[in-house]
Amino acid sequence: MINLQEQIDLFKNVIGSQLKNKVECIAIGGSAMMFYGAKNATKDVDLVFLKEKELIAVKEILYNSGFNERKNIKGIFREDEDAGKPVMMDGKETRFDLFLNEVIGYKIHEKVIERIREVHEFGNFIVKTASPEDILMMKGCTERERDRDDAAELVRKFKIDWNIVINETAEQTKIGIAAFPILLYDFLTELRDNFKSDIPKNITKELLVIAEKKLEELKKKDQLIKVTKYKK
Amino acid sequence: MDIIGTAKRLEGLQTVDSIAKILDIDRRTAVNYVWMLRKKGFVETVYGKRKIRMYKISPLKPNKFGYSGLYEYLNKNSKIKIYAPYTNRIYDHEPTPEEMVVKAVKTGDLRTVLSSLALFNKVKNWQRLSQIARKELIGRKIGALYDAARTVIRVRKMDKKTRKALLRSNIDNNFIVKNARTKDLKQIEKEWNVYLPFNKADLEAYKE
Repeated sequence: MINLQEQIDLFKNVIGSQLKNKVECIAIGGSAMMFYGAKNATKDVDLVFLKEKELIAVKEILYNSGFNERKNIKGIFREDEDAGKPVMMDGKETRFDLFLNEVIGYKIHEKVIERIREVHEFGNFIVKTASPEDILMMKGCTERERDRDDAAELVRKFKIDWNIVINETAEQTKIGIAAFPILLYDFLTELRDNFKSDIPKNITKELLVIAEKKLEELKKKDQLIKVTKYKK
Repeated sequence: MDIIGTAKRLEGLQTVDSIAKILDIDRRTAVNYVWMLRKKGFVETVYGKRKIRMYKISPLKPNKFGYSGLYEYLNKNSKIKIYAPYTNRIYDHEPTPEEMVVKAVKTGDLRTVLSSLALFNKVKNWQRLSQIARKELIGRKIGALYDAARTVIRVRKMDKKTRKALLRSNIDNNFIVKNARTKDLKQIEKEWNVYLPFNKADLEAYKE
C-alpha cells in the first residue's frame, strides 16, 4: 500500500526525473482518488496512456528502478481477448498497472479527456486525473470487493453527475464492451443494496433500458457475447 | 449528524446566509455548522469584495503537496481573475513567473492571456523568459504582450538583449488567440508581426 506522499515521490523522483520527453497519462482508480483526497492509500497505481511509446518509456523506467513485469495476467477477457490487458509492474510496496487507451474494455475517448478534473506535473511526467464519474464506471467493470468500497466512497463524497453516466454508458456500448450497461446496472444495484449508496432508481432503470435495447440488437444479429468480469 | 453529507450539500462557495438558507436553519446555527465542517478540514475561508467572508466547502480534503499551478498562480498574482477549468499542481519545482507567462500564452485563451500580463511585473530573469518562450515558439508573441502590458501597467524594463532575441525568434503562427485581432494596438502588432487579441478597452480592467 502507498499513500499520496509516497505516490508523489514515485512520480516525481522515479518517473518524472528520468523521462527525457514529455509523457502524459490519466490516473484512474485509487491513485486518482488519492489526488482528490477521497482515499488515504492504494495498493496499485493505475495509469492510462494514450500513446504506446509513452507507456513503453514509463515501463522501461520502472523496470530499471526495480519493478518487475508480471507476465501471467488472467481474466481481463471479453470478446477480443487481448484488448485492455495492462502492463503490470510489481514493486516492493506497490504495483503499477499501465493501460493503453482502454481500461478493461472501457475506452478512453475525447469526452473522457474533456472531463479531466486535475493536472499534476512532475517535470516531464504529466498525470491527469479522470473524473469521478469515469472512475465509478471503470470500477463497474471489475469484480474486486475493494473496488466496491471505493465506488461507494466515490458516491458518498462526490456529487456524481448521473447524466454523464447515462450518456457515457450509451457511448461505451457503441465503442467498447457491448454488455457495459448490464455490468454497470449490476454494479450500481449492488452498491445501492449492500452499501446503501445514494443511487437514483431512475438511473438504474435507464441503464436497464439501454442494456435491453443492446441485447435485442445483438440477438437480431445473432452475435452472442461472452462476458467475464475482471479479477486479479 | 452526517458531516460528509452536509459538506456535499453545501459544496462550493457559501456565505453564512446562503448556508442558513440551504439548510433552513438560523444564522447562529449556520456559524456552528461552519465551525464543525472546518474542524474536519472541509472549509477554507476566502474573502470577497468589501471583505465579505465566504466559505469554500468541499467534502474532499485539499491536496497540500506541491505548488499551485497556472490558474491559482494567476489568480494570486493578477488583478484579472479567472475560473480554473481544472486544478493544476506542480511538484518538481516552485513555478516562476517566467514559465507561467509562457504557459498562459500557450493556452490560447483570451482571458488567461489577459490575466498573465500582470506577471510581466514579476519577471526577474528576462533571459530565462526569452529562452522558454523561444523553445515553445512564442518568442515574438511574448514580446508583443510585454509591450501591450506596458501601455496599462507598470512593468519592469526588459533588457535590450532579450528584446532583440525575442524580435528575431520564430513563432508557430501569428495569432496569440485563434482568429482574434485588435483595432487599437496596431503599432505593437506591426513591430512584432503578431496579432494581439485585445483592444484598449479590454486592458481597462487593469486600471480599475
